[in-house]
Amino acid sequence: MFLGRVVGEVWATRKVEDLRGLRLLVVEALDERRAPGAPKVTPVVAADPLGADLGEHVVVAFGKAARVACGGDGDFAFEAAIVGIVDDFDVPNAPASWRMEPRGRDDSARPGSARPAGGATPRGGR
Amino acid sequence: MLVGTVVGNVWATKKDATLTGLRFLVIRPFTLDGLPSAETLVAADPLGAGIGERVLVVFGRAARHAIGKGHDVGFQCAVSAIIDKMELEDGSLIGSTSEQDVLGPELARSAAGATRAAGATTTTTNKESRGP
Repeated sequence: MFLGRVVGEVWATRKVEDLRGLRLLVVEALDERRAPGAPKVTPVVAADPLGADLGEHVVVAFGKAARVACGGDGDFAFEAAIVGIVDDFDVPNAPASWRMEPRGRDDSARPGSARPAGGATPRGGR
Repeated sequence: MLVGTVVGNVWATKKDATLTGLRFLVIRPFTLDGLPSAETLVAADPLGAGIGERVLVVFGRAARHAIGKGHDVGFQCAVSAIIDKMELEDGSLIGSTSEQDVLGPELARSAAGATRAAGATTTTTNKESRGP
């Protein structure tokens, strides 16, 4: 599993039957070691049963965990899924690129979100 | 799962018996700086993707499931979808082939910078250079 940020969405018409009706999001892993401006890595495509928005921070699981998260313990033709939408996190000394920004979503409307509409920042150096 | 571009085919006569009848593609993963990655991978293709097309690649059990020949297949990487389009945060519209891409400001900037750098050394990265 990893913590990532949703950076895009994918659409496909010709696909394996199992992927029908599945929302596919492009997720960039948050990497603590990567220096600012360093070449970017290959993003992961993950199924999204939760309805994450562009720019939101998410937890991505792989393998059977991902398939279970999308219903049943089935044999599906995918192995990465968003299993959590992050409300807030506290990683001391996290890079500035981890900062959470509100992107057109009313955060106060999300149940369980204690986050003010201004968004949270990685709380480093306190 | 990841998105990649089909860059070639692979044929093998001597192979594991469970791989008979499968089509194999060489795929170059998509990266968020608008450039093809350095490494490539090989995936079985049950859908019939062509060179230049963008595809979704799955791994492990999911891949064996996508291949559709049961779970005892000596392969762990498969194409599960041929991508119509991909929309990225900076407004980039990534099409089913690189010719259809409409790059947003971020991707365009990094792609332009990298093309300049590549021009000084090698032309290999230009094979997939994106349109204007």
